[in-house]
Amino acid sequence: MSFISLMGALEIGLIFALVALGVLISFRILNFPDLTADGSFPLGGAVAATLIAGGHDPWMATGVAMVAGAGAGFVTGWLNVRLNILQLLASILVMIALYSINLRIMGAPNVPLIGEPTVFAPFLPADGDAGYWIQPLVLAVIVVIAKLALDAYFASQSGLAMRATGANPRMARSQGISTDRAVLTGMAISNALIALGGALYVQTQGGSDISMGIGTIVVGLAAVIIGETLIPSRSLWVATLAAVIGAILYRLFIALALTADFIGLQAQDLNLITAVLVGFALVLPAFKARLRKTLGGIGK
Amino acid sequence: MMRAQNLTKTFNPGTPIENRALRGLDLDIPTGQFVTVIGSNGAGKSTFLNAISGDLAVDQGSIHIDDNDVTRQNAWQRAGLVARVFQDPMAGTCEGLSIEENLSLAWQRGARRGLRRAVTPALREEFRARLSTLKLGLESRLSDRMGLLSGGQRQAVSLLMASLKPSRILLLDEHTAALDPRTAAFVLELTDQIVADGKLTTLMVTHSMRQALDHGDRTVMLHQGRVVLDVSGEERARLDVPHLLAMFEQTRGETLDDDALLLG
Ligand SMILES: Nc1ncnc2c1ncn2[C@@H]1O[C@H](COP(=O)(O)OP(=O)(O)O)[C@@H](O)[C@H]1O
Ligand SMILES: [Mg+2]
Repeated sequence: MSFISLMGALEIGLIFALVALGVLISFRILNFPDLTADGSFPLGGAVAATLIAGGHDPWMATGVAMVAGAGAGFVTGWLNVRLNILQLLASILVMIALYSINLRIMGAPNVPLIGEPTVFAPFLPADGDAGYWIQPLVLAVIVVIAKLALDAYFASQSGLAMRATGANPRMARSQGISTDRAVLTGMAISNALIALGGALYVQTQGGSDISMGIGTIVVGLAAVIIGETLIPSRSLWVATLAAVIGAILYRLFIALALTADFIGLQAQDLNLITAVLVGFALVLPAFKARLRKTLGGIGK
Repeated sequence: MMRAQNLTKTFNPGTPIENRALRGLDLDIPTGQFVTVIGSNGAGKSTFLNAISGDLAVDQGSIHIDDNDVTRQNAWQRAGLVARVFQDPMAGTCEGLSIEENLSLAWQRGARRGLRRAVTPALREEFRARLSTLKLGLESRLSDRMGLLSGGQRQAVSLLMASLKPSRILLLDEHTAALDPRTAAFVLELTDQIVADGKLTTLMVTHSMRQALDHGDRTVMLHQGRVVLDVSGEERARLDVPHLLAMFEQTRGETLDDDALLLG
């Protein structure tokens, strides 16, 4: 694998680190299985690309994309806590609705950003060279800021209330925590991060596309699960670190698998590989336990 | 002061499994009184406590805590007034959070939660001092996960959490039932101490008639969602377990007769 394709994989890995942080909040902290990501990731992309193509400042466009993502997460949470729609179903409804909304926002199935300014533009050298390592660097700074901000939040009174809401809602309420509000806030933060990922993705890939969201949630989950498997820990700052590392390793692994010609894998096989990987990681703990039991039985 | 008036609660109304758990329950508890509650399984004791805490909305009736009509408030809105310890040691704490984080959650009970740090060095000192009163050595394990503690230890911490901030009523629902006899005795002793220290208005459900008479100032018996016996003072002091048991059987017999009449 060449240095440039390695940097490319790192770039996408860092973007999916933001998705993984979002998934960590919904699935692990709030205990809310949320598939909104497949809609909120392209939503972030659609909003950012459309605004940038319309001549707006890329940072502003990225900020608006995050707000839009927060709105999407809020709606999913609201469908669940106010209308009592099952969590998974609520998120699927929003995901489907976002497909139409994203098309409306872009006004076309894709919005190219060739030659438009991006958040990376100020850092890139004028002659256009050496961009391949500056973009990952800028992304790394953004990911580190997001990770540290989350760590700080979850150590705060409000963040602790959110963790209690996911872990033991009845206890949380008995301590005066509005669990509904905590779920809405958490879902908003989660999908704002995922939309931020989408907004940065279109700026590294030269445009947004309506189908760019397919499989986002599975990749995010894969990152979280890989992270947890490699760096198991109960402490939250380690969990956020693990999610980030999981996302990066996952993309590097995919890049390796794709460049190894003898395997014969192609880009369109990506979702299949991811699904198999996540499925494997999900049954692994149970399989390990059974194996231990069997081996223990033999030992006797 | 806690005043419950004419509380009714029916589960699954209009279905074959309709269950009238509360049927016009009245109870007045003056400030500072420690009331023990007994009653057979399914008498409505837990339902009553859940109604006071706001975990359950009642169908009819009203609940006042001091001058506040809390009948229509959610559990989290009432939390500043109500402290509680659950029967299940797992229910009252978050096992994935550390001891100090659990205490911090209770420290903010009923208060606004902002972006300030949940556990500060000053707070940690406070928690350490409070935990040392339990004499369980937990003061040196502040950052241990709650899940590492035994059931008795968790129940003791739950009690401490319930008394960390002032409340207008403390609800204890068979909070020693899941513990072995020695641990149960310890937690019960701790309960007496915490209630006495804080002069807490308390409602304690127990499955043991002995406990019901030995602790607190007043004993009520629930049956079929109503208060069927209410003793305090001299009368209660003279009461013994066999007496109480006899009264218990008597009320049961009477209600059976009532039902027989209704059926006839
Ligand atoms: N959530 C519920 N749904 C349906 N029935 C319930 C529910 N909670 C309690 N009950 C029923 O209401 C009655 C009173 O229960 P409870 O208050 O738990 O009794 P106890 O006095 O043993 O604590 C019981 O018959 C119980 O089966
Ligand atoms: Mg009960």
